[in-house]
Amino acid sequence: MSSANGKKPKKDLRWMPLDNAAKIYPAARNQHWSNIFRLSATLYETVDTAVLQRALNVTVPRFPSIAVRLRRGIFWYYLQELSAAPNIREEYAFPLIRMSKKETRECAFRVIVYQNRIAVEFFHSLTDGNGGLIFLKTLLAEYLEQKHGITIPAENGVLDRREAPKPEETEDCFLKAAGPIGMNRRENISYRLTGTPEHGERTHITCLRIRAEDIRSKAHEYGVSVTAFLCAVTIAALQNLQNHEVSEPKKRKPIRVLIPVNLRSLFPSGTLRNFALYTTPEILPALGQYSFEEICTIVKHRMGLEINRKHMSMKIATNVRDEQHSFVRAMPLFIKNIVMKAVFNAVGERTSSLSLSNLGVVRLPAAMDPYVDRLDFILGVQATAPYNCGIITYKDRMNIHFIRNIREPFLENAFYNVLKTMHIPVVAESN
Amino acid sequence: MYCVQCGVKLADSQKSCPLCGTVVCHPSFDRSKAEPLFPENRLPPKPHRSLGGTILTTVSFLIVSVTLLICDLNIAHSVTWSGYVLGALLIIYNAFVLPSWFRNPNPVIFVPIAFATVVVYLLYIDLVTNGDWFLSFAFPVAGGIGLVVTAVVALLYYVKRGQLFIFGGACIALGVYLLPIEFLAKATFHVSRFIGWSLYPMNVLVLLGGFLLFLGICRPAREAMQRLFFM
Repeated sequence: MSSANGKKPKKDLRWMPLDNAAKIYPAARNQHWSNIFRLSATLYETVDTAVLQRALNVTVPRFPSIAVRLRRGIFWYYLQELSAAPNIREEYAFPLIRMSKKETRECAFRVIVYQNRIAVEFFHSLTDGNGGLIFLKTLLAEYLEQKHGITIPAENGVLDRREAPKPEETEDCFLKAAGPIGMNRRENISYRLTGTPEHGERTHITCLRIRAEDIRSKAHEYGVSVTAFLCAVTIAALQNLQNHEVSEPKKRKPIRVLIPVNLRSLFPSGTLRNFALYTTPEILPALGQYSFEEICTIVKHRMGLEINRKHMSMKIATNVRDEQHSFVRAMPLFIKNIVMKAVFNAVGERTSSLSLSNLGVVRLPAAMDPYVDRLDFILGVQATAPYNCGIITYKDRMNIHFIRNIREPFLENAFYNVLKTMHIPVVAESN
Repeated sequence: MYCVQCGVKLADSQKSCPLCGTVVCHPSFDRSKAEPLFPENRLPPKPHRSLGGTILTTVSFLIVSVTLLICDLNIAHSVTWSGYVLGALLIIYNAFVLPSWFRNPNPVIFVPIAFATVVVYLLYIDLVTNGDWFLSFAFPVAGGIGLVVTAVVALLYYVKRGQLFIFGGACIALGVYLLPIEFLAKATFHVSRFIGWSLYPMNVLVLLGGFLLFLGICRPAREAMQRLFFM
């Protein structure tokens, strides 16, 4: 990717090792898949690409850990700051096209414009959803300031572009948060949806738009949080699909949904790099049919049991311990890649049916609200499973994005059917 | 606008329901005013494919081949030993390098090409050495194995399931094929020792093939083996 302003690369570009969670993604990628996600903001007016490019040029130096390229060392990959902002790209018929090694070597994120929408697609080694959201908000603030001459305060996740990056923003917080002992990560293989694979890298996006208040009130009716409620709906939908697919209860596999947990809420941190782990609520359909209330209780208690500092520090310790083992550190990168890929393929993703990532309610500075219509968050599909789900809420409108690389919309349909029985109105749209 | 099949409310740009696939038909609604979520006709460019490695390998093969040929011609003033080496290099090239020239090489085409190269190589050796064993032995053996391997590859490539049946059937076919191979070897080379050797590998292959077929049929046994060999 050529630089937008044609600057020569600086010699003192800062570099940093990948954080603990980021290390698996370059190793696990393959010819057809790389782990990326997309955040986008839709405005009430058509995006001015020239102004956005100028805004991007200003924003990029503020994010030395996100505006980076992925380079290979002898023992580890590392991130290197970009000397100049990348060019803005045009949208295609389907988002989240695989990032090739060549592309991540030049720039590991994309800024894409389509009519009223500004989208940023990140390779997951750079940051997580929360870090990506801060980048998007800051870019958007700079764009609106340049376009409309307004002043937007540095609040609600918008950073001041004129100040220097803070050291804590580029910190690998996993190392500090690791507990004294680790835990066994072993989980058995879960139920996975299957269908007719789509050609090439084509993905189907289905967005279910729901009033956030409808979901919130229904979740409170069941005595759970919004994320737990949506997880329970997903599990109930998967249970219905598996019941239809496997008639004998004993042969039904566990249904497990991976919910990323933002560790910034447990370990105070200002990092913009990956700082998330996960919890995996599950049911065992071989034991019999679960009612929706039962699923809600299981999800609620599982989340309550796992989402706390001590349990998460134990999970982090296991990952950090692996990374810091002298033998692992001394292993050349190409061998590490083979081992990590084998582990990832064997147990990494197969333990959960899909990921359900909820970025929660997003607030922008009040000065930006009149210009922004909606926000969207789309996760890329998993390497071997056909589905993933990203959720974001803005202005009382929750957007639930299902992505799949199979033709049949099994899960969206089953998910909608569960919501329909609860009389929750839904608007559906797709690519 | 609502889907008549599943009842979900649809965005104005929808041509069909994303949940059930039902085509939207609303005569009084002008959909051209609604913007689709993504540009429908703008497909991503096909990923750039570098042929550098393939070209480099091909050039290396050519350099080695020409060097060998020149050495042989200088030393023996005719193509002698270099013929065998060049033939072997051609087999390796056709089997491993030739498919990489294509974006999506179809193994159902390239596997028979590799076997055809082997057959031609054997014919060359037969002619050079006046062996008189090509038609009576080498051709049916190499051809038969080529047919079985091609059938396995074609089934794996197109059927995408039933691997246990495919490999089980292939094991049995190869095992049974050992009997005519022994017969052909005996007729061609007049071997009188080790009569009935083919029965031993045949039994092993047929038993192995039968076991794979059994695993394909019997689900509990298959699951037990999966548990046993889980890595």
